[in-house]
Amino acid sequence: MTAATDIPTTRSGRFNSRNVSKIAIRLGAFVAFAGIFLYFALTARGFLSPYNLTNVIEQSTILGLLAFGITVVFIGTGTDVQKGGIDLSVAANAGLCAAVYDVLLRDGYGNGVAIPAALGTGMFIGFLNGLAVVTLRIIPLLGTLAVMNIAAGLELTLTENTVVPVQSPLMNTLAFGRFLGISVLAWCFLVTTLILVWVVQFSQIGLRLYAVGGHHEAAKAAGINTGRYIYGAYLFAGLMAGATSILIVSRLSSSTPGTGLILLPILAAALLGTVFSRRFIPTIGGTFLAALFIGILANGFQLLGISSYWVAGVQGALILLVVAVTSFAKKN
Amino acid sequence: MTHAAIEMHGINKTFGPVKALDNADLVVQPGTIHGLVGQNGAGKSTIIKVLAGIYARDGGTVTVFGNALQTITPATIEAQGVHFIHQDRLLVPTATVAEAIFLRNEPRFGPFISYRQMNRRAHDLLKRYFDLDLDPRTLISELSTAKQKIVQITRALAHDARVLVLDEPTAALVNREVENLFAVLKRLKKDNLAIIFISHYMAEIEDICDVVTVLRNGTDVGVVAPGDVGIPKIVEMMTNRDTSEMYPRRNVEIGAPVLSVRKLTLDGHFRDVSFDVHAGEVLGITGLLGSGDKELVGTLFGQMLPDSGEIRLQDKPVSLCSPVNAVRHGIAKIPEDRRAHGVATGLSVGENISLASLDQMSSKGFVNRKTEAKKVDRLIAELGIKTPGGHTLVKNLSGGNQQKVVVAKWLSCNSQVYLLDEPTVAVDVGAKVEIYNLMNRLAAEGKAQIFMSSDLEEITEMCDRVIVIYRGEIIGEYRRGEIDADRLLAAASGAQMDNERKSA
Repeated sequence: MTAATDIPTTRSGRFNSRNVSKIAIRLGAFVAFAGIFLYFALTARGFLSPYNLTNVIEQSTILGLLAFGITVVFIGTGTDVQKGGIDLSVAANAGLCAAVYDVLLRDGYGNGVAIPAALGTGMFIGFLNGLAVVTLRIIPLLGTLAVMNIAAGLELTLTENTVVPVQSPLMNTLAFGRFLGISVLAWCFLVTTLILVWVVQFSQIGLRLYAVGGHHEAAKAAGINTGRYIYGAYLFAGLMAGATSILIVSRLSSSTPGTGLILLPILAAALLGTVFSRRFIPTIGGTFLAALFIGILANGFQLLGISSYWVAGVQGALILLVVAVTSFAKKN
Repeated sequence: MTHAAIEMHGINKTFGPVKALDNADLVVQPGTIHGLVGQNGAGKSTIIKVLAGIYARDGGTVTVFGNALQTITPATIEAQGVHFIHQDRLLVPTATVAEAIFLRNEPRFGPFISYRQMNRRAHDLLKRYFDLDLDPRTLISELSTAKQKIVQITRALAHDARVLVLDEPTAALVNREVENLFAVLKRLKKDNLAIIFISHYMAEIEDICDVVTVLRNGTDVGVVAPGDVGIPKIVEMMTNRDTSEMYPRRNVEIGAPVLSVRKLTLDGHFRDVSFDVHAGEVLGITGLLGSGDKELVGTLFGQMLPDSGEIRLQDKPVSLCSPVNAVRHGIAKIPEDRRAHGVATGLSVGENISLASLDQMSSKGFVNRKTEAKKVDRLIAELGIKTPGGHTLVKNLSGGNQQKVVVAKWLSCNSQVYLLDEPTVAVDVGAKVEIYNLMNRLAAEGKAQIFMSSDLEEITEMCDRVIVIYRGEIIGEYRRGEIDADRLLAAASGAQMDNERKSA
C-alpha cells in the first residue's frame, strides 16, 4: 500500500457554523497580532529598528520561558484552563531562585554551586506544588497560591527585601553576548522553544501528558500513571523558574524584589497561546507567539509614551477576553 | 486443546456485611457473544470489576485462555488481551481519533511520534473493521457518541484484543447506531473474539447473544441460550426473589387529580408524556437508566424547562421555571443523591428540617426559634429519626436517618405533590419500612405522590398505578393488581413491546 497518499480527505461537517466560529477566532488572533504589529510599526518611532526588535525578543524571553512552565502545567492538569490546574507560584518561584543564585554568588560561591542551587530550589518549589495538588489533593488554584506565598516569603527572608547586586563573567555573556548576530538571551528562548516543541508536541511523553490533562480517567484507563505526569509538570515548571532566574539576575545584574509581579503577563501569555491552536488547547508554539505578542504590546506602549501602568490593565483584559472567547467557542 | 476465553469459578466478593458475589461462575468461549444479565445489585458490575482488576476477589479462580491469574491489575489483564469498553466514554476529548486509538502504543520514528504512520494505521483499522471512512485527525469531541464507541473498540483491536467486555454499550445510542454496532460485533465474533455483552435491554440480549449468564443476588442462577428459552424465562430467572413482609398496607380513597401532565416533551429525553396523579395516590414511574424518567421528574420540579406540553396543578396551568417556583406551587422533591441535593450535611438536623418552611415559622423576618424547635422535635419523634437531638449535625447520622431528615424537611412545609426519587437507595431495611410508612401517611393526608424507583419490587408493592418509560415514551400503564415485577421489567427493557402489540 502506498503510504503517504493514503490519508483520507473526507471533510464532511467541517464547515458548519461551529467550525466557522472556531476558525474565525483563530484567524482573529493572528489578524490581531499582525494588526497590532503593523500599528506600532506605523506609529511608534523606532519600533522596527533591529535594536528594538531584539529588545522585544529579549523582553519576551523571560516571560516566555516562565510561560512555558505554566503551559506544561496547563497541559498536564486540564486543557480546559478554567476547570483544570494552574501554577500560580511560577513567578514567585523565579524570584526565590534568583535570590538564591544571587546571594550565593555574593557570598563567594561560584556558578558551579549557585546554578545547581537555583535549579534545585526551583524544582523543590515545583515538588511542593505536586505534593499539594497530587498527594494532598488541594485544588490547584489554592495549593499553588499557598506555595507562591512560601516562595515569596523565602525570597524576602534571603534578600531582606533589598536589591543585591552581583557580577560574574557568565552573567555578562548571558546578558550582553551575541552569537551569529543574535543575542544569547534570544538564543536561549529559541533553542528552548525548539526542544520543548519536540518533547511536548511530537513525543510520546507529550501526547500522554495531553491525555492526562484532557481526560484524567481516560488516561488512567489507558494505563498511564497520571499522578507521575502531573508531578512531572509541576517539577518542570519549577525547573523553568530556576533556569529563568539565572537569566533574570544576568539581565538586571542583581536580584530585585518584585519578580513575582510578572505572574500576570505569564498567565496572559499561556492563556492567550491557546487561541493559536486548532483545538484551543495550550501548545508550546502558541505560548511562544503569545509571549512575543505581549512583549510587543509592552514595548509599543513604552515607545508611544503610554504609561506602563496601563500595560497591566491590558494584560488583565486580555486574560478575560481569551478565556471568555475560548470557552464560548468550546461550548458552541 | 482449546481453552475457554474466560473462566471464572467460585468468585466471592463481600463489601462490609454485603455479599456482592457469592460463588459466582462465568465461562465465556471464544467466537461467542456472551450476555450478562441481572437486576441492579445482582453482581454484574462487581464480577466485571473483579475481572478488570478494579476489585480484588475474596475467593475463586480466574483463568484467561488457560492461564490462571492470581492477582489481577488493569495492566495485567490488558496484557492478556482482555479489553473493557466502559459505559462512560473514556476518551480524551481534545485528542484526535488516531491519538486516542494509539495512546500508549504510539508508532515512532526515531525520537518522534510518527503521526503519518499513526494516522494511516488508524484509518486502515477503522476502514477494515467498521468500513468507516473517518478522518483520523478529527477530534474526539467532534464525534457522535456512537462513533466514540467505535473508536473505543478500535483502540482495543489495535491493542490485539482477544476478549471484549462491553458494559451497556447501547445506553446512549439511537436505533440505527445500535444496529451498526451489532453488525460490527457479529463480524468480530467471526474473527473468533470472545465478547461479553452487558445490557439491561432484553430485546438486544435476544438479538445478539449466543449464550446468557443470569446473575441473581451475586450468584449465577443459569447459563442459557436466549434463542432456546426465550426472554420471559430469563426475566423470571432474574426477578425470582423471596418477598418479605416489609410493605405496610394502606387503605386510602383516591380523590381528584392534583397534578396533570399533557403532551410534555423535553427534546432528547422524553416525548408526549401525559398522565394524572390524584390526591391520595402513589403513582410509580420506572424505566431503565437513560430512559428519560429522571428528566421527567426533574421537569416537574422546575429543574429543566420542557420544550412543549402543559403541566396543570389543581386544574390550573402552571409554568415551573425553577425549583423555587415549584416549591411555591406546593411541589416537594426528595432527591436520590441526598448528599448532593437533599441535605446540608454541615447543618444540624433541626436547621435542615426547617429550611424549606422557614416562612411558616417566621414573623417580621425573624425565625421564631420556639415554634421551630417544637416542630422539629415533633417530626423527629414522628419519623423515628435516630439522633441525640435537633442540634446534632446531619453528617453524623446514618444514611437512612439522613434520608428521613430530607423527608421531614418536606413534610414540614406541607406540600401538595411529592416527587420521591429513589428514596430508599442505600438505606437499610428498617429505615425502608419507615419510609414506606411515611408514604402511606402522606397518602392518607390526601397528598399526591410520584414514586420513582429502579427496585421493581417496591414499585410493585407500594404503588396504586405504575407507568413505564422506555426510551422517552410511556410504554405501559398498570393498575394495582396488574402490576408485577416481571411485567414491569419486560416493559422497561423493551421486551414486551412485541407481545403487547400481538395481543392488542
